[in-house]
Amino acid sequence: MPNDIILDIQNVTKQFPGVTALDKVSFRIKRGEIHGICGENGAGKSTLMLILKGVYPYGTYEGCIRFNDEELKFEKGSIRQATEAGIAIVFQELTLVMNMTVGENVFLGREPREGAGINWNKLYSDTQAILNKYNLDIDANALVKNLGVGKMQMTEIAKALSENAKILILDEPTSALTEAEIGKLMEILKTLKSHGVTCIYITHKLPELFRITDSVTVLRDGKVITSQPTSQLNEEMLIKYMVGREIKERFPKRKNKPGKVIFEVNGLRAVDPNQLNKEVVKGVDFNLREGEIFGIAGLMGSGRTELVTTLFGEYGKITEGKLNLHGEDIHIGGSYDAMKKGISLVPEDRKRFGLVLIQSIQKNISLANLDQFSTAYSINFNAENKACDSFSQRLAIKAPNLSVMCQTLSGGNQQKVVIAKWLMSNPKILIMDDPTRGIDVGAKYEIYKLMNKLSEEGIAIIMISSDLEEIIGMSDRIMVMSLGRSMGILEKKDFDREKIMIMATGLMKNHNNVERRRFHE
Amino acid sequence: MSDALSFLKKQIKENIQTYAILFAMAFVWLLFSFLTEGMYIRSQNFSNLFRQMTVTSFLAVGMVLVIVTGNIDLSVGKVAGFVSVVAAKFQDDIWFNVMPNNELLTTILSVLIGIGVGTIFEAIQGYLIAYLHVPSFIVTLGGSWILNGAILVVTEGKTIAANQPIFSYIAQGYLPPIAGWIMAGALILVLFLTMFQSRRNKMKYGFTPAPIVLDIARTIFLSIIITVYVYIVNQYNGVQFPVLLLAVTAVVMAYISNNTPIGRYAYAIGGNREAARLSGVNINKSIFKVFVFMGVLCGISGVVLASYVGYGTIAAGSGYELDAIASCILGGTSTLGGIGTIFGAIIGAMLMASLTSGLQMLNVTAAWQYILKGIVLVLAVYADVYLKKSR
Repeated sequence: MPNDIILDIQNVTKQFPGVTALDKVSFRIKRGEIHGICGENGAGKSTLMLILKGVYPYGTYEGCIRFNDEELKFEKGSIRQATEAGIAIVFQELTLVMNMTVGENVFLGREPREGAGINWNKLYSDTQAILNKYNLDIDANALVKNLGVGKMQMTEIAKALSENAKILILDEPTSALTEAEIGKLMEILKTLKSHGVTCIYITHKLPELFRITDSVTVLRDGKVITSQPTSQLNEEMLIKYMVGREIKERFPKRKNKPGKVIFEVNGLRAVDPNQLNKEVVKGVDFNLREGEIFGIAGLMGSGRTELVTTLFGEYGKITEGKLNLHGEDIHIGGSYDAMKKGISLVPEDRKRFGLVLIQSIQKNISLANLDQFSTAYSINFNAENKACDSFSQRLAIKAPNLSVMCQTLSGGNQQKVVIAKWLMSNPKILIMDDPTRGIDVGAKYEIYKLMNKLSEEGIAIIMISSDLEEIIGMSDRIMVMSLGRSMGILEKKDFDREKIMIMATGLMKNHNNVERRRFHE
Repeated sequence: MSDALSFLKKQIKENIQTYAILFAMAFVWLLFSFLTEGMYIRSQNFSNLFRQMTVTSFLAVGMVLVIVTGNIDLSVGKVAGFVSVVAAKFQDDIWFNVMPNNELLTTILSVLIGIGVGTIFEAIQGYLIAYLHVPSFIVTLGGSWILNGAILVVTEGKTIAANQPIFSYIAQGYLPPIAGWIMAGALILVLFLTMFQSRRNKMKYGFTPAPIVLDIARTIFLSIIITVYVYIVNQYNGVQFPVLLLAVTAVVMAYISNNTPIGRYAYAIGGNREAARLSGVNINKSIFKVFVFMGVLCGISGVVLASYVGYGTIAAGSGYELDAIASCILGGTSTLGGIGTIFGAIIGAMLMASLTSGLQMLNVTAAWQYILKGIVLVLAVYADVYLKKSR
């Protein structure tokens, strides 16, 4: 007789160099339930999922995971094992082939055969049978690229179910869905439950947890804080569990007070330049003072990165609102123009946007600043070397010399290279998009110290961070964003983790000027 | 001295690919010398070998930067071919009617027109690729068809002679031996002066230059290569004019790729387009410029081609684009962009030319030459992939 526990996670610890991503995590998931997992960004949710998927194979973590009463022992290099065992994950980033039909996607890699060819009739009739069984309202012959995001997700779910998934893991499934689509997803999950499929539902949107889950596990800093039936919880309790209580002295002290206002953003609205009907910044007002560290908090999809890349002239097309720098209205025509005006951006995801990994430290640092030591016809290598060297020392970049390729550096040192590049452009305003993401504690502290020093020199810093403690510890003021809107700006005395979390999850607005003004119009 | 040794070791480790291809080159020369009982490295063959590689080398030199930015140019063979028939047409036909007795001037004008035509055509393609974002593969494929037609229009299907003495000198001329020696001497002097100048500059900025023994050793090594080269070719007819032209062009392009912002941006774009864009690099302008350079080089290549064959023909330049691309790849240019050197491409072109020349001497048929060259290209890239993985 099968046990009523389908997944039993016992004392799982996963270490990365310098970070403990999971620390003795233990909890159980009952057969047939919908189990919510929530936690801040970086709490360890993704690491746990990647272990269940076999991306981090057996032996790279400590502890034991029992699935259907058998210990999971995935070998290195095979992602299929998890699928074959009956564990399916629908990731936030969908993994469908856009130019194929729903049926082709569902059976990708295991198409039913007919001699040497594919039995298309069986493929489509099997797909349609699965879609009908679980009330998924899609045509098996439809091209995936013509579907909305909600239906694409259903296709992913159908794919997982066609592989006889015993347990279906949904990672932030609603982040890109509309309200109606979310409702539809909830219905589907209930249907799945009635068919005996177990679901793990990962989210940081609290209302959804109460709407759909049977029990909830809260992770924070890689630890399980609680795991109990949803009926015994309420929102305040959950938020308290998610953000914890104590703030450790992780942040260096700063002496200076912010000076006069140098930059103002008024009623800014912007659209995605590739999809002009998609508004990404939906009303943001703030000002920025000399020597201030201005935090922007918000969850994934809150529009914070879209906002800062728009300010840098590299992303959103501004449809409404004004930017004012040193008392003058400005238009920013792109990254080069922004730099000339004294605005620099340390972008998110240094590997994708910050660095040319196959080039040396020196070439990376100087890339944005070649003007400083070259004419159109020649680069003065010695001047370049000297300038890069002085920034490298100032930021304490640890490398044998400046000709070391960036791909060999640690995350913290890579980040310092990106910061060095932007500091060399001598900015008045430095925007840092999640500057300490994925780097170890020591390197984080060095970056905090550097930020303090820069602000003492009068540079205004806009810092985006996914880490609540960090943003509270470092900022003078914090703007909280949700779904492209500013939910309000908190002064230092009002900093409160729970308040920020509530605003970020969209549950409450702090005296929202933007909304009010729009109402009057 | 141990200082110098460790420095040397590091240099070799960092440039393992360059050394590997130089080694392959030496191997090919030794092998053919052995198989042809020494005929292969006789000065006449040696001299011709270098002359033969020039036409595609000009293209390869330009192609490096195109591939480095993450693009490709399939039209260069036909651009060079079109330039060659245009130059021939002017030489043979138009000037003859306009100013029959002014050979030097007409040659200069033909050369300038040829280079201009190549540059304009590539600039148009570059505009489509860089600013209108049409994939380079498509633009240049279409471009080569267009030029194929244009060549037929200009030649009217006939062969045009381009064998006037001064024009012929471009690809067939030799410097008198004494001029060769003077040039070699001047070059060696310049090498030493640059070396000391660069050391002085480094010290001015407070850096410790590389051990002086090494700098001197390297300069002496280069000087020996120059001397040996001039000695060998002087045994035959002297320094080949087209090779001299190629050397100058390659030095200029190497300078552009290493020492100017344009070059730096090209590598950054190929290495990470997004990071380059966010760093204020004007991506469109940079890619456009690279295609303009490619155009100038196609122009030079086409002029040399016309002068080399002495004719403008309908088949001119066919397939040269593939030779140029293969030279770049053999020379270590990454098809993914961001990596590649001019020097490597020249060596790659030399390797291809050495193979062809050797196989011809051994009376291997054209069919087998193609088959062997194909195998060598694929094996060479496989070896490179393998070396990278095992490191």
